[in-house]
Amino acid sequence: MWDIITSSLPQILAAGIKFTIPLALISFAIGLALALITALVRISHRGGAFSIIKGIFRFYVWLFRSTPLLVQLFIVYFGLPYLRIPGVLENGIKFSPFIAGIITFSLNTGAYASETIRASISSVPNGQWEAASSIGMTRGQTLRRIVLPQAFRISVPPLANSFISLVKDTSLAASITIVEMFEVSQQIAAQNYQPLIMYTLVAVVYAVFCSILTFGQGYLEKKTNQHLDQTEG
Amino acid sequence: MKLQGLNKSFGANHVLQDIDLELPERATTVIVGPSGSGKSTLLRSLNLLERPESGLYQLADLQIDFSKKIPAKQVLDVRKKTGMVFQDYNLFPHKSVLQNVIEGPVQVLKRDKNEATKEAYELLAKVGLKEKADFYPDQLSGGQAQRVAIARSLAMHPEYILLDEPTSALDPELEGEVLKVLADLANEKQSLIIVTHNLFFARQIATKIVFVEDGRIIFDGPTKDFFNEQQKNTRIHDFISSMTFTDIDEGTVNN
Repeated sequence: MWDIITSSLPQILAAGIKFTIPLALISFAIGLALALITALVRISHRGGAFSIIKGIFRFYVWLFRSTPLLVQLFIVYFGLPYLRIPGVLENGIKFSPFIAGIITFSLNTGAYASETIRASISSVPNGQWEAASSIGMTRGQTLRRIVLPQAFRISVPPLANSFISLVKDTSLAASITIVEMFEVSQQIAAQNYQPLIMYTLVAVVYAVFCSILTFGQGYLEKKTNQHLDQTEG
Repeated sequence: MKLQGLNKSFGANHVLQDIDLELPERATTVIVGPSGSGKSTLLRSLNLLERPESGLYQLADLQIDFSKKIPAKQVLDVRKKTGMVFQDYNLFPHKSVLQNVIEGPVQVLKRDKNEATKEAYELLAKVGLKEKADFYPDQLSGGQAQRVAIARSLAMHPEYILLDEPTSALDPELEGEVLKVLADLANEKQSLIIVTHNLFFARQIATKIVFVEDGRIIFDGPTKDFFNEQQKNTRIHDFISSMTFTDIDEGTVNN
């Protein structure tokens, strides 16, 4: 059994470094930026033509939270090449598997994380907004300097949750031909007929990755809570 | 500072009804009244945290008509001229005491950071908290937090400081340290407008008392007259009697 592990683990880890980790990191970074923009648009008080933009973002969040991630991957990778609009788009939209993965994972993470960020912003007490506006700070200044730093602290645990989910969800990328860790373990299992060992092994590798993230979450929570230990427990 | 015909409703609740009021400079005005009388709403309107539906508001050379949309520039001007101190302090918990005090001067008034810091230390010394400059709000007692909040509003050099029940969240033994700071400011002729339940303090510090009930001004005049009026005016009498069961005994108020 050790032979199987020692011979296949390097291949799994290589796939992790080449695909799983970049997919998760890049998608989370883009997703987070998207989530922040989405949350800020949705909490904006602006009306008029801006309501249309708000509607678009609301639709985006609804769409990605209401459909399975696997189906989203299939639409972006297998479906979009067939999106043909005569005169405008003759050849469909084609992405490499990796780019299709990044796009889908980013949009999916962004939709969920935007709700986390929106909730974190609303959980900052109204008194903070009032105190900031009472000294003449604009809404933008208040958000940037007063509300978002406090919202960030609140959002660390749920965002870490999203990140951990995303790391595991990248295994779905196997279905759009990305040779990430799970795909590699499937391929090896097909050759050596040891599915129990192979899938357990890849599960352990995912668990190790996620444990590192959990550790990072603990560190970040401690760091962002350092001045609030008495009130926040 | 002058208000004319101020009206404000929350739904069907008409909290301010045709308020006419003059709030003198370099004086201490205390606004009293039962809970829900509209006194806090009145105070918060002066900093534009509440927007009455109608009425005129004159603050130095600024003229505001609440029935129209107030331009952002005017809102900013009003807020520069009026500092606000809240019942539950509302310090910024992620910023140190010093950072709390310099936030407004640096970000809003665009003052030089070193200069603002230097002045912040002076203001903190004034409220007796110079040694707490590097502390964070959660490391302070309620009384200390409220004194920082007062320093934070002083740092903006407002013409008026508006205080919304500044000692109501404090234990009685901490109330005194905040009241002392306010008494010092009153002595320096800083214009103060204080909403409070503490009639004993009002009597000591106020140049003028405004008594609000059910969204209307029942009394507006010198402090001495307010306490004398209670023989004639049953509403003032009832209010004073209802307030005096803890801090003050009737004898003190009546003599």
